[in-house]
Amino acid sequence: MARGVSARQRPNGVRLLARLMPAAFVLIGCLSVSLSRAPAQAIPYQRPVDTAPQPDAIGGGYKTPAVQKPLPRAYWLQVLDVALLAAAMGVSVWLVLKRRDRKWLVALTAGSLAYFGFYRQGCICPIGSIQNVAVALTDPRYSIPMVVTATFVLPLVVALFFGRAFCGGVCALGAIQELVVLKPIQTPRRLDQALGLLKYAYLGVAILFAIKPALARDFVICRFDPFVGFFRREGAPHMLLIGGAFLVAGMFIGRPYCRYLCPYGALLSWCTRLAHRGVTITPDKELDCGLCAGACPYGAIEEMRAVRPSCLYCARCYAFCPRDGELAQAKATLVQLPGAPS
Amino acid sequence: MSEDITRRALLGNVARGTVLLTLAGGAGFLIRKANGQVVWQVDAARCLNSRLGAVNVAACNLCTTECVVPLSAVRAVNEFSKCGRCNICPAYFNITSAVDAHGLPSEKLCPRDAIIRKPIGKVDPEDPANNFYEYVIDEEKCDGCGKCVMQCKEPLGLGSITLRIRYDKCVNCNRCAISGACPQSALVQLPVEQALRPQVLKWPGE
Repeated sequence: MARGVSARQRPNGVRLLARLMPAAFVLIGCLSVSLSRAPAQAIPYQRPVDTAPQPDAIGGGYKTPAVQKPLPRAYWLQVLDVALLAAAMGVSVWLVLKRRDRKWLVALTAGSLAYFGFYRQGCICPIGSIQNVAVALTDPRYSIPMVVTATFVLPLVVALFFGRAFCGGVCALGAIQELVVLKPIQTPRRLDQALGLLKYAYLGVAILFAIKPALARDFVICRFDPFVGFFRREGAPHMLLIGGAFLVAGMFIGRPYCRYLCPYGALLSWCTRLAHRGVTITPDKELDCGLCAGACPYGAIEEMRAVRPSCLYCARCYAFCPRDGELAQAKATLVQLPGAPS
Repeated sequence: MSEDITRRALLGNVARGTVLLTLAGGAGFLIRKANGQVVWQVDAARCLNSRLGAVNVAACNLCTTECVVPLSAVRAVNEFSKCGRCNICPAYFNITSAVDAHGLPSEKLCPRDAIIRKPIGKVDPEDPANNFYEYVIDEEKCDGCGKCVMQCKEPLGLGSITLRIRYDKCVNCNRCAISGACPQSALVQLPVEQALRPQVLKWPGE
């Protein structure tokens, strides 16, 4: 009894010290180890705390601030992205097939590059989604959000009816190349066709890598996306170099990634074979002047007819047409020469 | 001739319909299977910087160097309700540096000076050692190097600072570049609600 009383009478400081002894030992241990490297003066750690003080202990009307915890992109914003994708394709179809207007299409291209490219940082895009769709179709434990499915399917559905409207003015990867086309040369047809086969091979490789078991899986399309580094203003040096090379080459060879490598382009051109509308070189209006074929940087006009599966919806043929495009709008008169076929 | 055209149109319609149905079927299958969004998160119990028991080792900064977005989408985040509000915070100060005139360490730990320290509550200017301090991480400066996380855990701290993925920065790559490099496999894909929950530090293998 007497001992108990004496224990209770022990000054507070001593009891506190006793309680903190183990912590103090660990602390001294740690400090001595770090001191052996840093010849600085050790400071006794003032208040080793074992519980976090809450607002009532802190006093002074303090309120715990909110922790920085931003939510992932809200669901409705993701749906908005899909809606914008659909709307942009609608505008692209309307501008090219109905208005035959290249100027506004260039504006749409720049807008898409700014939004889908630089603002959304190239993610998500239908091209990369090929592999996610392939994995989700084959792996029972992998699934993709609805917006990814929609992003993948929508451009294909549009292509089934109107052709590759996605490629013209909507796709960010296409847009960045479209805007650097400076002085395109006509690629020899044989070479063009041979290089065009690469995209089917790439599609096959991408699907092969996607349907591998989870650990060996590799999302090659996204990993070797040449332009995403520009969209994010950061990337592996070798990918930035490859992207820069594509852009420099793209000044003279129109949209090389789209024509020769894009695996989604392969799917789109298959769907486009079934489309019942598309870019048309109108037979009853044409002059056989060939200005459209000369203006097409993508080799998509053969024998004065549009080759829809390779047409990238840029509307250059219309812009350069003396009957249809800017020349006609400038009220240029066409002189009927005597003896020439009308 | 006209019959020929209608036949071609019919064949075209049939082919188009078939592809449409295939696409719709595939999309339906994927949508029925869809189970909401999954996002990447750092598992604090596995991360070398935040898990207990890893002391006297250099902080791992792969989250800074491997991420594909500028500065990194991984940032140190202070869970204020768990913070000890210490006068000499081992995550703020380099506690092995020389003592200055105020009795505080003269150097800061953060290489980018991203932590802001200010006294809070009832401030007693005569007794700075017993005031409470708030440590806010400046998200514009932090690059997720993890040095503060390594110090803010037992034995010196309470483990209120952990590395977290900031969903305003993360672009949710198919395969997170950090996850490929992390030797602890600390980057995991979780449903959103689970990823936002505060993390619990554990001993390895616990």
